[in-house]
Amino acid sequence: MAAVSFEYGLALAAILFILGLVGLLTRRSLVFMLLCVEIMLNAAGFAFIVAGARWGGADGQVMFIFLLTMAAAEVAVGLALILVLSGRVPGAVPDEAAAGGEPAPVDMRSLLDTDYQKDAQAGRTRP
Amino acid sequence: MSASGYLGLLPLAILAGSAILVLFGLAFARQRYETAFALSMAGLVAALASLFFAWTGAPQRFTALLVLDHFAYLSMALSIGATIVVEFMSFAYFRARREENGEFYFLLQLACLGCAVLASSSSFASFFLGLELLSTPLFTLIGYRREREAGLRSAFMYLILAGVSSAFLLFGMALVYLETGSLDITTAARAASGSASFTVLAGLALMTVGIGFKLAVAPFHVWTPDIYDAAPAPATAFIATASKGAMAILLVRFFAPAGIAGAGPFAWIFAAIAGISMFTGNILALREGNLKRLLAYSSIAHLGYILVAFVASGNQGSAAVSFYLVAYFVSNLAAFAAVAGLSTNEAEADSIEHYRGLAKGHPWAAAALTASLLSLAGLPLTAGFMGKFVIFEAGAGAFLWVLVVILAVNSTISIFYYLRVVSALYRPASEAGTGSMSPRPAMPALAAIALAAMAIAIIVIGAMPGSLMAFIREVARDIASNAAAAL
Amino acid sequence: MSIVALIPAFPFAGALLIFLGWRMKGRTAAIIGSAAVGLSMASAITLASISSLSPQSGSAFGLVLWNWLQVGSISVPIGLAVDALSIVMCLVVTVVGFLIHLYSVDHMAGEEGYGRFFGYMNLFVGSMLTLVLADNLLLLYLGWEGVGLCSYLLIGFWYRESANGRAARKAFIVTRIGDISLLVGIFLLATSLGSLDIQEIGRRAASAWPLGSPIASLAAALVLGGALGKSAQLPLHTWLPDAMAGPSPVSALIHAATMVTAGVYLVARTNALFALAPAVQLAVAIIGAATLLVAGWSALFQTDIKRVLAYSTMSQIGYMFLALGLGAWTGAIFHLAMHAFFKALLFLTAGVIINALHHEHDIFKMGGLARRMPFAFWVFLIGSLGLTALPPVTSGFASKDAIVARAWTSGDPGHLLWIAAMLGVLITSAYTFRLLFVVFAGRGASAANAANAAHGSAHEGGQELARPGPLLTIPLGILAFFCLIGGLVDFPRILGGVPWFGTFLGTALPPAREAEAGGGSELALALASLGTSLMGILIGALLWRRSLKPGFVSPSSGIASFFKKGWGFDRIYAVLFQTPFEWLCRVNRRDAVNLASNGIGTANLAFSRVLRSSQTGMIRWYVAFLAVGGALVIAAAVIL
Repeated sequence: MAAVSFEYGLALAAILFILGLVGLLTRRSLVFMLLCVEIMLNAAGFAFIVAGARWGGADGQVMFIFLLTMAAAEVAVGLALILVLSGRVPGAVPDEAAAGGEPAPVDMRSLLDTDYQKDAQAGRTRP
Repeated sequence: MSASGYLGLLPLAILAGSAILVLFGLAFARQRYETAFALSMAGLVAALASLFFAWTGAPQRFTALLVLDHFAYLSMALSIGATIVVEFMSFAYFRARREENGEFYFLLQLACLGCAVLASSSSFASFFLGLELLSTPLFTLIGYRREREAGLRSAFMYLILAGVSSAFLLFGMALVYLETGSLDITTAARAASGSASFTVLAGLALMTVGIGFKLAVAPFHVWTPDIYDAAPAPATAFIATASKGAMAILLVRFFAPAGIAGAGPFAWIFAAIAGISMFTGNILALREGNLKRLLAYSSIAHLGYILVAFVASGNQGSAAVSFYLVAYFVSNLAAFAAVAGLSTNEAEADSIEHYRGLAKGHPWAAAALTASLLSLAGLPLTAGFMGKFVIFEAGAGAFLWVLVVILAVNSTISIFYYLRVVSALYRPASEAGTGSMSPRPAMPALAAIALAAMAIAIIVIGAMPGSLMAFIREVARDIASNAAAAL
Repeated sequence: MSIVALIPAFPFAGALLIFLGWRMKGRTAAIIGSAAVGLSMASAITLASISSLSPQSGSAFGLVLWNWLQVGSISVPIGLAVDALSIVMCLVVTVVGFLIHLYSVDHMAGEEGYGRFFGYMNLFVGSMLTLVLADNLLLLYLGWEGVGLCSYLLIGFWYRESANGRAARKAFIVTRIGDISLLVGIFLLATSLGSLDIQEIGRRAASAWPLGSPIASLAAALVLGGALGKSAQLPLHTWLPDAMAGPSPVSALIHAATMVTAGVYLVARTNALFALAPAVQLAVAIIGAATLLVAGWSALFQTDIKRVLAYSTMSQIGYMFLALGLGAWTGAIFHLAMHAFFKALLFLTAGVIINALHHEHDIFKMGGLARRMPFAFWVFLIGSLGLTALPPVTSGFASKDAIVARAWTSGDPGHLLWIAAMLGVLITSAYTFRLLFVVFAGRGASAANAANAAHGSAHEGGQELARPGPLLTIPLGILAFFCLIGGLVDFPRILGGVPWFGTFLGTALPPAREAEAGGGSELALALASLGTSLMGILIGALLWRRSLKPGFVSPSSGIASFFKKGWGFDRIYAVLFQTPFEWLCRVNRRDAVNLASNGIGTANLAFSRVLRSSQTGMIRWYVAFLAVGGALVIAAAVIL
């Protein structure tokens, strides 16, 4: 294996990490948030691999595999939560469904956007 | 590995095995809710009992991942005990609501296993595994009542924030590993205490974020009130106690003996975090009208108190952290048992207004809740007083005068809002009042037992702390000698 | 010997049961309350008989239940000390307490808060027992505060009337002045002697502090301050007459028999300190003498039956302080025990009378009750004879005469004190018999009937009022019996008595300082005091005759009113403390100090608002917190 200086790998991991963090701070969609968290976790995993490469041990890779598994579990729970939430955001009016009527179509914007509800309540409209 | 070595692993094995049994019970039994409860309870009790057998074999290391010493067993006993109490208060709480709630116990037990692993981990790998084992069930536990949208939103919030904090923690671990070449926590901690490079310092700082998030200390505390409020009361109780306790124990067992807490930059950082947490938590709680949020804010301050003892470090500091944790556990569990027991099908008993006139309707519950609140406020003859007392002692012993003064000031501030709740208990219920229930439902038996047991524990620990204190000091001495042996 | 722990445990358990079963039927609370004190009494009697059977050296022992706190060299054990002194106090508290509980079962029946009453009473008995059994000052202080709290709660028992609440607050605040003095004294002792254990403090003080050294005097004075507040001695005595706002059993138990004598107990318990500070000890005697005169004189002018007894209590405790000041430790405790019996008897009988006359407290509206309430009359007479120390009743006779004789034999200042004590004897019998005559003698045609008529009662003058039930008469009878024969346990030797009591207490308290006077002078002194008492009765009778004159109105103006209101102490305190304080408050309406303290509060609340605004519930915002916090920590880690 050609010796790539570990500083480069570390810099890449840091960039990825900050990318995820910035994405989390700027995006409002639930799915994007989940994605950004994944990016951050993977950045950490990458850092582990870089570190493992430096010491020539398997520890870094082992940690990466742990991390991958756990991230998968986390995403699974996260997606499930998004699914359940999708039935409850404003737009799908529960009492209409109880009355036997067809549930109103889900407003996808409200599903993906955490702050949508607050804006809607405040009477603000966003493009 | 000798037979006694495996015996030491027994508590963890029982926890994991019985979690699987609970799953089987859920799949096949007819009375799935009751079966899940019974199986899980049996598993927890068995695990607790197995601690006695495991105790004699300690201390030992199990591979590079786990160190099974007396301190680990003590914290396991705390986590398992807290989980048992939480299950007691959950039984009626969830039965009243839904038939399909048996999974709650499975998740709770997994989280408890996570706590146990966390408290006995000696490597970054097991640290991370334990943490995720604890966190992942919590996402579901927070949003367990699917009909409540706030709970679901909060669960998602916790998931994102926990993910971010895990990322911080892992990145920090990676940096430390990069520099030291070892996943061993003690090695890492020792690396930081010497003249550390930028990488190690940055790594430890990032880890501090992850740990601070789990402990909910300022400035990583912001999630606490929302999660406490939105989660079902038993889940909140678990988050408030077992989850934070396991992390605090981990902090103590590896960072305190390595001297990281006593000196160097991280002593200052943790001292600052402690001070800010005490003020933030208590000041936030001043105007709070919701009991669950109030307890959330107050828990921020309580973890700040614990960090004072942590910064004090040494034997006395470790013992003070452990003792305070015990006091904090029983007081909080009592408070949440009251909340869970008084919640009805329709409404969570969370508004303070709701508790007006409790002394008339439920004198025993009111007395127990009073004991719990006074203990949280740290009034004499309660466990909380003794807890604060040992922290004072540890802080004064380490000459942390600024922190000790801040602690005293904050104890005073906190009395204000605790007494606000206590006075509500004894005021007459408001006429056709907002949220005051009439007629108040009877307290479910199991929740009442949990509440009574915790209240008795508060008084007993407060009035005669001697033997418990001696025991904890003994165990704390154990970790110091372990750390010395590991050198 | 661990039975001693049961003595305070029973009443505490009773209080707990009653409070937690708030909704229980009143009767149940009464039974639990009385039974708890009864069991406690049984334990105390058992303990006393065990101790008195065992050899003298073995009668004192300590029982450390557990160690509460351990700070450096000072440890605070929850420990009980048993010696003759605490056994005597336990017996007095539990026996009188039990009888009063029994009495209350009937007396308080039908009152609002019947269960609450017994809860408070049990709590009181438990605290009082903790106080007298404590082996260290901190535990003693815990009991001390506990009895103060119960006193406050019970004075204000009928809290719907604001005057009662005011009386309760006054009692609490005035005694608080003394409590703080005691607390500072405890701090001083703990810091300078390094121990809280009472015996240990005595030993260390004796070896560390020379006789009459300033620090010993300061410590003794601070402890004395606490005793003065609790025992209603000059100048902290003003709360006791107002404390009569509570129910009669409360007055009997707390404000006559037990709590107000806690100060006497405290001084006796810490006698080692006072022995090192002769000046302070002399002050104790002088304060006692002054109080007994001032309070006794005030009692002469009272028209409220309970206030007469209240002033009399102050005066009698003055005698105890006098005895303490003269170093007659056992004499003080002996008088304490005897006083507990006869004063409890008087208060309880007063309670019976007050209830029979529909809450009439004015003695001039009573009159002629001897025929209408014969039982009450006889027991009241026995109590009065005990109070005036007249021979057929042995209790007061034995104890008070011992103190008076003691004053005579104790050297130079003693003679002045003896004169005060003799004057006190005169005044005591005067006010006691004035009270007795006014309430019971005569035909009582005028006022009592008028009172009756006003209440629409069917009773005619001269007819017997409703007989008190057995639950009332039995405790009264027992107390009367104790009054009659109680003094025999330490009867004057000259009259063929044996000082059992003194010998028993002598195992716990230091002996009297110097030799006994000769037998002849003892007899002479006894005769002198007897004569004085008889003279006092004459005065009392004269005062009563005067009140029978047509057109007599109870003293309400001029000098009489001055004495009736307790020598204007309230007025003086109002001028000295209250008015300046109120003036200061008025001037400082915008309050510079408060501005700061309010400022802290306001700033906290404002800060709270700012912080709360950070709790938005928005995930991105919270992530930002994590990120900024992380950046700060990294920066700190690198910079530091």
